[in-house]
Amino acid sequence: MTAQITVTEGGLPHNTLMIYGLIGSLVGIYLTYLNTVTGTQLFSFFGGLGAIAALVWGSDTIKRLCSYGIGTGVPSAGMLAFGSGVIAMLLATKFGIASPIVALVLGLVIGGILGYIANNILAMKIPVMIQSIAELAAVGALVMIGFTAMATGTFTFSPLSVIQVTVLGAAANSFGTSLIGGGLLAAIFMLGSIALQHGFNACLGPSEKQDRTLTLTAEVGFLSMLMVAICSFAFIGIGALIVSIIVSVIGWYYTYSQYITLSKRDAAAWLDTKPIVEAEGH
Amino acid sequence: MSALGGAGPAPGGAMDPVSSVIGLVLAVIFIGIVFVLAPAALMPLLGIILGGVLIGFGVHFVPVGGAPAAMGQAPGIATGVAMLAAGAGLAGLFGGAWAAELGVVVATITGAIGGGLMMAITCLMVNVIYVFGMGIPAASGKVAKDPLTGDTQAEYKSQGTEGHGLPFISFVGGVVGGLFGGGGGTLIYLMLLGVYEQYLPALFDAKVEQIMPVAVSLAGIFAIGMFLVNAVLAAYNITGTIEGPHDPKFKRFPRAIVASLVASALCGLVAILIVVVNLNI
Repeated sequence: MTAQITVTEGGLPHNTLMIYGLIGSLVGIYLTYLNTVTGTQLFSFFGGLGAIAALVWGSDTIKRLCSYGIGTGVPSAGMLAFGSGVIAMLLATKFGIASPIVALVLGLVIGGILGYIANNILAMKIPVMIQSIAELAAVGALVMIGFTAMATGTFTFSPLSVIQVTVLGAAANSFGTSLIGGGLLAAIFMLGSIALQHGFNACLGPSEKQDRTLTLTAEVGFLSMLMVAICSFAFIGIGALIVSIIVSVIGWYYTYSQYITLSKRDAAAWLDTKPIVEAEGH
Repeated sequence: MSALGGAGPAPGGAMDPVSSVIGLVLAVIFIGIVFVLAPAALMPLLGIILGGVLIGFGVHFVPVGGAPAAMGQAPGIATGVAMLAAGAGLAGLFGGAWAAELGVVVATITGAIGGGLMMAITCLMVNVIYVFGMGIPAASGKVAKDPLTGDTQAEYKSQGTEGHGLPFISFVGGVVGGLFGGGGGTLIYLMLLGVYEQYLPALFDAKVEQIMPVAVSLAGIFAIGMFLVNAVLAAYNITGTIEGPHDPKFKRFPRAIVASLVASALCGLVAILIVVVNLNI
């Protein structure tokens, strides 16, 4: 049995936050289906909001796992989450409309088995290990499917691999210009894992506060969302693209100013640095 | 790196027989599912498992120093396994992927050389920074004499530290780890690429040349995912830091081999299922 090293007081209980994150991300990802219903692409940005809900949940899970001192650093948990999450997510995209739910379930199953390997075969003996790695793999899968839905407006395998292009008036299937064929999935992978691991990695230590950590995660999540919005230029119309960028920038600005406010609240003292004044006359 | 201390398994690293057997049974079940659903993908799955085991084994050679190494208080490269794996292992994977059309043997060796070269450059620059930037010599804290060169270590070790810098044995360990990691990652990529080249044309009703971008990207992203899973599991086995092959923690590697075997069988199964499951919805 490994002793818990740091315990943060206050804040929402982890299970409550998990339910919020889970429902928030599924609802967000499913709202992109309005694209198909209404025949537009304007609702793509909901995928990014769903991904951020999952990121906030995952950040709290990382905090719970890493408070036991796993010794390998916080980023390794994020890498494990996305390494297993991308595997779950890609298989889940084969299940059509059920993809986000399948991604969640597959992530939990794959993560659960990996957690068992880490906890029992590798004898880590951390009480929350299996549950945490299962949650993290599910978070990884949901974030990837959310950002993918935002970039392309859809979350099923065929449209992610093939897109119809018109060459000299004739319609043709193009594989190289799709999200998977073009390799943009790798960019989404890194954007998501940076957002997931940065919050707790930056805020850990004495007087860590849950709201500040999670606000930072959401802030980095919105920055990633902005990059995904720019990636989506290749797949969705200019109107939907502008909507995505505006939502990302507003979300980033709000969470950034909130994070600065919370940092000022938690800081012992706050001194605004001024530019170094050059002494004159030498 | 986390500022939180390293806890976890006790030194020595005895295998837990019950959970190891459960893990191996799971691996056999995963292999059995592939054998039933896609017999042609059975050999690639075994290749994927071999690649994953090579990665998990290779991580044990790499001198991962972590935060203490960044402060010059422990030997090794001053970062975590996840970063070293992403740097060195993926360099090997990309190197091997370029040589994919020259056959499995050439491509795997190319990937191994890519990973080993990247680790050699990393280790060299780490020592340059330690010696000329921080002004500390290389000394191991775990052994009295370097097993390869026979150089004594204690005179160079500062009091209150576990050693510092990269001694020769750690340098060699880093390169060997890079060889294993790069080769293993490339092997996973090649096996998956073969499976996708075989199944995707029928799935999309297209020619092999047309689906190549999708096959390459899918194999690449799955290989990256499996690489990170295996590397992080191996990192959990060494609780974050290790000096190299001479470190007592190195003896824990059988546990990591079982873990990588089960994890690679699981991930390989899912990666193969993506072309087998065809629901048309």
